[in-house]
Amino acid sequence: MILSLKNIFTEIGETSLFAKKFFKEVFVPPYETKEFLRQCYVIGYKSLPLVAITGFIMGLVLTLQSRPTLVKFGAESWLPGMVALSLIREIAPVITALICAGKISSGIGAELGSMKVTEQIDAMEVAAINPYNYLVVTRVLACTLMVPILVFFADAIGIIGGYVGINIHGDVNFYRYLTQIIQSLEFLDLFPATIKTFFFGFCIGIIGCFKGFNASNGTESVGQAANSAVVTASLSIFIIDMVAVQITDLFF
Amino acid sequence: MEKQSGYTWKLGMFVTIGLLLFIMAVYFIGKQQNLFGSTFHITSQFKNVSGLEVGNNVRFSGINVGTVEEIKLINDSSVVVVLVMKEDVRKFIKTDARASIGSDGLMGDKVLTISPGLKSQKIIEDNGQLASIDGIEMADLMKSVKKSVDNVGVISEELAIFSHSMNNGNGALARLVRDDKMANSVSNTLSNLESGTKGFSDNMEAAKSNFLFRGYFKKKEKEKEKKKEELKEKKEEQQEKAAKEKEQKEKELKEQKEKEEKEKQKQEEAKKAEAEKKKSGQK
Repeated sequence: MILSLKNIFTEIGETSLFAKKFFKEVFVPPYETKEFLRQCYVIGYKSLPLVAITGFIMGLVLTLQSRPTLVKFGAESWLPGMVALSLIREIAPVITALICAGKISSGIGAELGSMKVTEQIDAMEVAAINPYNYLVVTRVLACTLMVPILVFFADAIGIIGGYVGINIHGDVNFYRYLTQIIQSLEFLDLFPATIKTFFFGFCIGIIGCFKGFNASNGTESVGQAANSAVVTASLSIFIIDMVAVQITDLFF
Repeated sequence: MEKQSGYTWKLGMFVTIGLLLFIMAVYFIGKQQNLFGSTFHITSQFKNVSGLEVGNNVRFSGINVGTVEEIKLINDSSVVVVLVMKEDVRKFIKTDARASIGSDGLMGDKVLTISPGLKSQKIIEDNGQLASIDGIEMADLMKSVKKSVDNVGVISEELAIFSHSMNNGNGALARLVRDDKMANSVSNTLSNLESGTKGFSDNMEAAKSNFLFRGYFKKKEKEKEKKKEELKEKKEEQQEKAAKEKEQKEKELKEQKEKEEKEKQKQEEAKKAEAEKKKSGQK
């Protein structure tokens, strides 16, 4: 019991040190721009279809599910505002982050894990290439910057999904729908949600890299690294979300 | 290098569209709150803002033209509300316009409404002050509602007492409504009255035909009428009126008949006279 607790704290401490190392290395040249762009492409562009489908379905389903309750209160006209509000504030960031945790974090964990197991990382060090700079910094930076953009896409596509959901039961003009959404939004809805997605992205990247970088020797540890990367990233997304919402609530 | 250009444009497009979406969202939300474009400020002083909040809409002729920017207390009985409005509508808001606080629907947010004035032609200045109309407070509304509900309570109580006495009491009206005997006796009295008036009018006729007794009968008639009125007063007014009307009609009819009879008598007399003349002529 105590031993497992100690293990957990050890891991948290190691992850923190790993993150600290990231902030140290990120400003130190050489900047791996080409690798960074490639990672952005892989993480951002390649995840877009997945995020788009999820966002559309979330918007559609959220509209259909909240409709009966609002109809009961005779507040059907508040449906667009309510759906957009919940999408932008909470659902799109968290769902997108979870999808990314599943796709990106596990990918990074498996990739770096296998590199570690096959001693490619050690070989890099021998070849005088800083493996941390080349492998970790680019990936974490790409994650931190791409996840918020994915969230914007998810917001937009989710709102279109909501429009489809509303038009299943009624007939609402698209322009009117957009006006209603914009009327119900404030900067306070948009900015905290956007800021927290940066943390989600950073968290996904750093945990995937950490798990891959610290894979022990042996093939099975690659799978383990990928698995635990997804689990830990998902869990930490929820924890960050809770903290972010509480901080937002505290100040506004 | 070729391989890189294969994905770079896709990445560029992805990032551009993503950021564009974000910027559009920021722009439209900002536009909603009048952060962009030219604006002007108006202040207005209220006793009570009844829950108005920063960010609520300002309406002029039912159109959203601005938002509430600041609400501050200046002393214990007055609140200053600062409004941000679109510059476009400034030319329509004159110095004698008035601000009032209302509610957007039953459950909706509070709305600050600016209603146009009547006389002034002077456009309001930036940072100018508008007069305010204090809104109806729910508590005041409830007070007047309570008053009328209390009155309704008193009325219904009295109505209950009335209907109870109608159903159970022995008053004249109650018995008239409930009792068959009473109703019969009333109708009997009425028919008696009718025959009585007929007899009386016969007497009248007799009295009128006899000039010696004319004065006497006139006195008696008056006395009888008085007596009748006393009788009638015991009954309902409507019945009295009906009886009077009938009496009058009968009188009129009889007078007419009398006149006719007199005319006939005259005619007959005239005929007789003519006949006598003829007879005397023949003789």
